[in-house]
Amino acid sequence: MIEVQDLTKQYAGRVAVDGISFFVRRGEIVGFLGPNGAGKSTTMRILSGYMPPTSGSALVAGHDVFRDSISVRKNVGYMPEMAPLYTDMRVKEYLHFRGELKGLGGRELRRRTGEVMDLCGVTDVRRRLIANLSKGYRQRVALADALIHRPPLLILDEPTNGLDPTQIRHVREMLLDLRDQHTVLLSTHILSEVEQICDRVIMIHHGRIRACDTPRNLKNQLRAAAAVHLELQGNGKVIKELEKLPGVRKAVEEEPLEGWRVINVRVEARNDIREAILDLATREKWRVRELHQQLPSLEDVFVELAASDAPPRNT
Amino acid sequence: MRTFWVLLKKELRGFFVSPVAYIVLALVMVQNGFSFRAALSILETGSGSAGSIVKWTFDSGWFWLSYFFIFPLLTMRLFAEEKKLGTFETLFTAPVRAWQVVWSKYGAAMIFYCILWLPSLANFALVHSLTGGVVEMPEGELRGSYLILLLMGMFNIAVGCFASSLTSNQIVAAVISFTVSLMHYLAGIFILYVGRKVPEIFVDAVGYIASVEHIRTFTSGLIDTRPVVYYASLALLFLGFTHQVVEFRRWRP
Ligand SMILES: Nc1ncnc2c1ncn2[C@@H]1O[C@H](COP(=O)(O)OP(=O)(O)OP(=O)(O)O)[C@@H](O)[C@H]1O
Ligand SMILES: [Mg+2]
Repeated sequence: MIEVQDLTKQYAGRVAVDGISFFVRRGEIVGFLGPNGAGKSTTMRILSGYMPPTSGSALVAGHDVFRDSISVRKNVGYMPEMAPLYTDMRVKEYLHFRGELKGLGGRELRRRTGEVMDLCGVTDVRRRLIANLSKGYRQRVALADALIHRPPLLILDEPTNGLDPTQIRHVREMLLDLRDQHTVLLSTHILSEVEQICDRVIMIHHGRIRACDTPRNLKNQLRAAAAVHLELQGNGKVIKELEKLPGVRKAVEEEPLEGWRVINVRVEARNDIREAILDLATREKWRVRELHQQLPSLEDVFVELAASDAPPRNT
Repeated sequence: MRTFWVLLKKELRGFFVSPVAYIVLALVMVQNGFSFRAALSILETGSGSAGSIVKWTFDSGWFWLSYFFIFPLLTMRLFAEEKKLGTFETLFTAPVRAWQVVWSKYGAAMIFYCILWLPSLANFALVHSLTGGVVEMPEGELRGSYLILLLMGMFNIAVGCFASSLTSNQIVAAVISFTVSLMHYLAGIFILYVGRKVPEIFVDAVGYIASVEHIRTFTSGLIDTRPVVYYASLALLFLGFTHQVVEFRRWRP
């Protein structure tokens, strides 16, 4: 559905997107992650036909985003960051206008307007002026606009930004429902959302792709160590003994809990030392109340990625 | 083409819900009232100057008073507001072409501009019917007057569109288009002024750019093709500039 080759975008000499290549298959939900200023919105703007890349190529639904931008736009439902809308229009009127602009007409237009209003939960406010809507409702109107012409590809820039938790869940379920008919590329800063709905994740930092895989594989590859959480009662040299175990980076003592010592053991990647700890405890006659492994979260992946410093390129 | 109509409808609607547009309408109606009153008093005193009620109405100081305010006020919103709201992005990710956007905005402004002058037409019709046809309605002068109004509108509104496309600040847009309109007017006056002291060639040049002179000619019922070509081509030029500015983000180095 999307094929991107060596895509580069410069703003007045600053490189925002730096030679990225990736693809998105039909029917996939792909999450686009990265710290602020990574170049996510820039890439999405290019893919939706708003502006051309400085160099490189991007095919969307088989059309080149620069040479055949109108065909690309017909196939894409794009929801920009911050949901810009005409504030002097009423909700229904706006969606009606957008539907018409995207080629719907007559009965089909009226039917789709009603459908997307129901789907995005804005039917109640359909006669309200957009200027008077809350941020969350504007976000919903923008989403309804992206959906109205049944585009095969949805490009959503932070679609759940500013929604309440119920609505976030609603959007998530909606995207899962839509996956039969739509391919979705979405950017977000809510990592749990990505873990729940995305088939693949593309991580981008300083305009370059840093990782591109399923959320599960990403977590497995994580260099950052997993940790083991321990609650025990034992003698003074617990920390020293634990740190002697192979594969342990560091053992940190935390606040004691109800008379039990709480220890966090940081482990090198892909090491499972739970058995070794238990053996040690048996030998040393420590009493163990709790022992469990903390798996790395996508957040850890994200933070590690963002912390790794690759200076932005200037031209 | 369908897309163009959809956009035109939306832009026109924008004028009818905008308070600024009604302020302009009120301004023009007041101005019309004053200049029409002045024209009527010339008629009453019968001060002997040549012309008709139509000529006295438009070829007057009152007319120029509102002239410079109409265009910036009508056009400042067109592109600047889209930029401010960020709706340029939603607009240009729908399947629309730049010319459709530019011409729909220009077209809507022109239509509203034409509506502005309808009340003045009603004035003439009213005085004609009230006096039982004693006050003549010179057809040629009517036609000439409204043609020159249309031509000046075409040019100045194109300037306004261009100004509005340059910035996301409506005030800045208004100031730019006001300045350009005023400079154009002053250039005409200036040439008229020096035209008396310098060779004949300059006097010919006057015919080209002096708006005051154009009004004088056309309201007398004379239709000169040179100003027609002049205003129409300038309008096209500025719309071309506007198109380029709107497409700027699509330029490739
Ligand atoms: N119109 C512009 N002119 C100049 N520089 C820009 C422009 N838009 C974005 N940039 C720069 O390009 C880089 C990438 O911006 P982009 O908006 O794509 O980031 P992002 O990944 O969407 O960030 P966020 O998570 O904050 O939305 C940033 O350094 C930004 O300052
Ligand atoms: Mg962004």
